[in-house]
Amino acid sequence: MARRQMKSALNTRLSSFQKIYLLLIAGFILGPFIPLIIQSFAFRWAWPDMLPSTWWLEQRDRSILPLAWDYVLSPYSRVWEATLNTVFIGTVVTAICLAICLPAARVLAREKFKGKAAFEFFLSMPLIVPEAAIGISLLMIFIKLGLAGSYLGIIIVHLIPTIPYMIRMLTAVYQGLGRDFEEQAMILGASKWQVMRLVTLPMLLPGVVAGALFTFLVSTNIFLLTFFMGQGQIITLPTLLFSKIAGGTLDASAAGITLVVTIPGIILLLITERFIKEEAFGKGFGN
Amino acid sequence: MPSPRTTELARHRKERMWMWVQLSPVLAVLTVLFGGALVLAVMQSLGFAPWFGVNTFPDFSYFGALWGDWSFWQSLGLTLYYATVSTVIALILGTLLALALVRTFPSKKLYKYLYKLPLMIPYTVGIALAVIMLGNGGMISRIFAFVGLIGDPSEFPQILKTHYGWGIIAVYVWKQTPFVTLTLYAVLLGVGRETEEAAAILGANKRQIFFQVTLPQILPGIVSSTLIIFAFNIGAFEAPFILGGGFPDTLPVVAWRYFNDADYTLQLQGMATVVSIALIASGILYSYLAFYRRYERRIGRN
Repeated sequence: MARRQMKSALNTRLSSFQKIYLLLIAGFILGPFIPLIIQSFAFRWAWPDMLPSTWWLEQRDRSILPLAWDYVLSPYSRVWEATLNTVFIGTVVTAICLAICLPAARVLAREKFKGKAAFEFFLSMPLIVPEAAIGISLLMIFIKLGLAGSYLGIIIVHLIPTIPYMIRMLTAVYQGLGRDFEEQAMILGASKWQVMRLVTLPMLLPGVVAGALFTFLVSTNIFLLTFFMGQGQIITLPTLLFSKIAGGTLDASAAGITLVVTIPGIILLLITERFIKEEAFGKGFGN
Repeated sequence: MPSPRTTELARHRKERMWMWVQLSPVLAVLTVLFGGALVLAVMQSLGFAPWFGVNTFPDFSYFGALWGDWSFWQSLGLTLYYATVSTVIALILGTLLALALVRTFPSKKLYKYLYKLPLMIPYTVGIALAVIMLGNGGMISRIFAFVGLIGDPSEFPQILKTHYGWGIIAVYVWKQTPFVTLTLYAVLLGVGRETEEAAAILGANKRQIFFQVTLPQILPGIVSSTLIIFAFNIGAFEAPFILGGGFPDTLPVVAWRYFNDADYTLQLQGMATVVSIALIASGILYSYLAFYRRYERRIGRN
């Protein structure tokens, strides 16, 4: 009995409960996308039909594309505009964030100094101060400065929630790198610039790319700050979707837009899964 | 000629300087944006708004009006209720998932992609999914009709747009379970299985192993991930705005409504709301952290 118990505790396979649990989680995460996809290809789908009574295929003579997708891909839906804005803002935010976080992460990974714990805590603050508080307070200032409703205003506020993640990921990268290689290069007579260009950068690159992609992702997913600062003049994918579903209903075109908004996340997931340093998330608060 | 000691000191000082130069950009950006926003929010909520011709600083009447209104406390209650319930559910589901993911199984690689999907997409997508699944004309309502439980969409129990907020909670849980899992999975990987194995060899059963060995080890991850999602939930806007039950709204929605009111003096009341959110959130999070630190000291860590 005791032996059997020990064996089951040492087991590295899934228990039957865990097997069922994993299936349920998969259903919980992916399940809702099924009706969403169906909805976007439906021509008529009334309650209580489990499947559309009229599919787009049966109505091809009326429209070449599925009706919802015809609208989504047309300029009227503003999907292209929102996608371009999202990518543009995300790229600039990532570049700025990388530039200001890289040196700081290097110091945080390697140096010990007085007040380091407090400094790290301060850098984590944006994660634990409610976004609505920051968003509305900054909006007041930005309206005064004429930055509300401008790309610059949105880019600046996007730095707040992206900095903590970038710092954490880059610090993890620098910690993994160690100092030995740089020191060896210096001993062999390389200049500071050569060390940077030939040793540090190539070794950092995969981690930096991962951090950059993740920051880009965080930026593309921000709703609240974009919504407040964009003032309806600049739309991104999350704010566009918000305006489509704000009424609490979801028609076929909104389903199509929801799927479009999901695509960047899927692409980035496929690229970054291998790079994302899970260690960066395991880090505690102020300990 | 300076002594070796002074050159050493000078070199040291130079290095320190260089270190702060490297830290300063990120420090400056966060201080200006973050600190600036908070200081101005506090000043405005205390009656400093010369651009409206209002300058009665320091004036506690905005807080007085806000806190004196019963609906503020109802809003606060709702905000905390949604935030707490969804954080607890996400924590339980996420811990179970992380514990399953460290095991070996055939589709593990696939699962490591699959569970991260909600992390990668905006909350608004989660809201759209909640609408299509949980709405009165949604998929679950159709399934109920299919098995003959209801004959009309109106007979379906209302899930969205009520003050029970199950729609809001569903969205938060859907989006945040992966975040908890990601954090705890990382911690579990770092901890390894040796201590669990040792406990098993010493005769501990599964329950004892989880509560006395695994749980204390993953506690730092639990604390940091629940801190982050709880704080987020308190300040979240879009889900309660779309899926909430209307008046009384959660505090961020209340603040937004004050802010967009045609009566601009209400903007200062909105600021008082914002400052209240920040105060309450930091109060709760601070006590949570302090409580956790005390526990850590008691068990002899740190």
